[in-house]
Amino acid sequence: MSDSAQIVIDRVSHLYRPPRGREVLALEDVSLRVTSREFVALLGPSGCGKSTLLYLIGGFFPTEIGSILIDGQPVGGPGPDRGIVFQHFALFPWKTVRGNILYGLERQGMERGEREKRVQDFIELVGLAGFEDSYPSQLSGGMKQRTAIARTLAIDPKILLMDEPFGALDAQTRHLMQSELLSIWQRTPKTVIFVTHDVQEAVYLADRVAVMSARPGRIKTIVDTKFDKNDPNIFKAKAFVDKVDEIWNLVRVEAIKAQETRPS
Amino acid sequence: MAGVDAAAVKAMPRPAPWQALAWRLAPFFSIGLLLIAWEALARSGTFTPFVLPAFSSVVARIWSDAITGDLLINTGLTLYRAIVGFLISAIGGVAIGMAMSRSVGVRWFFDPIISVGFPMPKIAFLPVVILWLGLYDLSKISIIVFDAIFPVVTATIAGIKGVERELLWSARNMGARDREMLWQIVLPAALPMIMTGLQVALPLSMIVAVVAEMLMGGYGIGGAMMTASRFADSPGVFAGIVEIALVGLVLVKGMTMLRRRLLIWHQEANEPTTA
Repeated sequence: MSDSAQIVIDRVSHLYRPPRGREVLALEDVSLRVTSREFVALLGPSGCGKSTLLYLIGGFFPTEIGSILIDGQPVGGPGPDRGIVFQHFALFPWKTVRGNILYGLERQGMERGEREKRVQDFIELVGLAGFEDSYPSQLSGGMKQRTAIARTLAIDPKILLMDEPFGALDAQTRHLMQSELLSIWQRTPKTVIFVTHDVQEAVYLADRVAVMSARPGRIKTIVDTKFDKNDPNIFKAKAFVDKVDEIWNLVRVEAIKAQETRPS
Repeated sequence: MAGVDAAAVKAMPRPAPWQALAWRLAPFFSIGLLLIAWEALARSGTFTPFVLPAFSSVVARIWSDAITGDLLINTGLTLYRAIVGFLISAIGGVAIGMAMSRSVGVRWFFDPIISVGFPMPKIAFLPVVILWLGLYDLSKISIIVFDAIFPVVTATIAGIKGVERELLWSARNMGARDREMLWQIVLPAALPMIMTGLQVALPLSMIVAVVAEMLMGGYGIGGAMMTASRFADSPGVFAGIVEIALVGLVLVKGMTMLRRRLLIWHQEANEPTTA
């Protein structure tokens, strides 16, 4: 297992330097190994540094203490091998759904006919056929996130980084998007690192859940959460409910701690 | 819920054609009232025609100017100066704003100048500009640019500063290079704010054009008004006022249309506006 690890995070710490005020230790001594095509959730209270860890893997922040290797290579800057999906979609508002998905393919230098076909495939994959020429401002939250997911999947990253992607959606849409993400993931298997603070979401989606502690963020425990994702009654299964409860108890302690230590 | 809403919509009568027309004409109502009041006051004999010429006599004056060709020359020249000054301010302002956003050195140099210069009445530099550049178009356009460039620079800086980090990261993530980032991501993302700056700069260009013409003389609406004033030509002065109002209205409306066209993707394009 360890020799096939695709992402190796080794004793990473990260200091966050705000423009004003003291620097904050956002991550402390985090180590994690993720195998290819694994779905790992980073779970923790807000402010625990789980997004920071994702941004380090994405190369948006430089890794200054410790190391992050992807397929044996240290992470440089951001690149299309690691696609990212943000909570607030980060779509280009001046581009249509089609234009947003096309953008990455154009940057990859894909030939015209091929990329037009690929865009259409991914629009259909996320169920947005008929909305190709809509602007993001004309779409619902769920549709915006479908567009963002299609845009990221279209550049065919090996690794998918998701930063609370369903956090801004209403409960019903969120649930729908979770099962859609699973079915897309089963059809186009990729390594997924999924940041969330929703315990049930983490247990439902991920193979393993890394529970993070309050600031400074450390990985407290890693829990195996492999369930039969295609079981429609999974949310009522005793094993599933027990697992959610077990992890919820771990997180609750940290959430309370986070509230107490939150800088005012 | 939905049923009730649908019923409510159905119960509401469709606006009759005359109502739709009235709605379109409503913005002109207050202006029309003002003009009627002007005409009535002028004809009542309360003021002499020298102090307040009737609106109809001002219109007649504009008409006779149009026939002699003076109207075309004067409004044309004022418009030409205002628009050339505006375009230079637009391009120069966006370029300076971009440079200031990207380079610490440029920001270090221009930031104090902007802070001191923006609240200053730039027209106070007119005597200096006359000394250096003379009395013709070069000096008039220069003083327009000097005034109108400030809101463009500050709007460009604010627009670029306001671009979301996630937007830049997304583009980087998909493989955008530095030059592509600027033209394909930063500028379009900052465009709504830049357009707002341009919408301030355009009427400012018009104002400074007229004031500069008044102070420096020669052709143009401002110059013609000063000449009329010197000759105690009251309808001529008021004709200038009406011409400035019309030209300004056309410019501002044109700018609003341009904004709607360019920002068709923006949230505001989906909302009803009064502008």
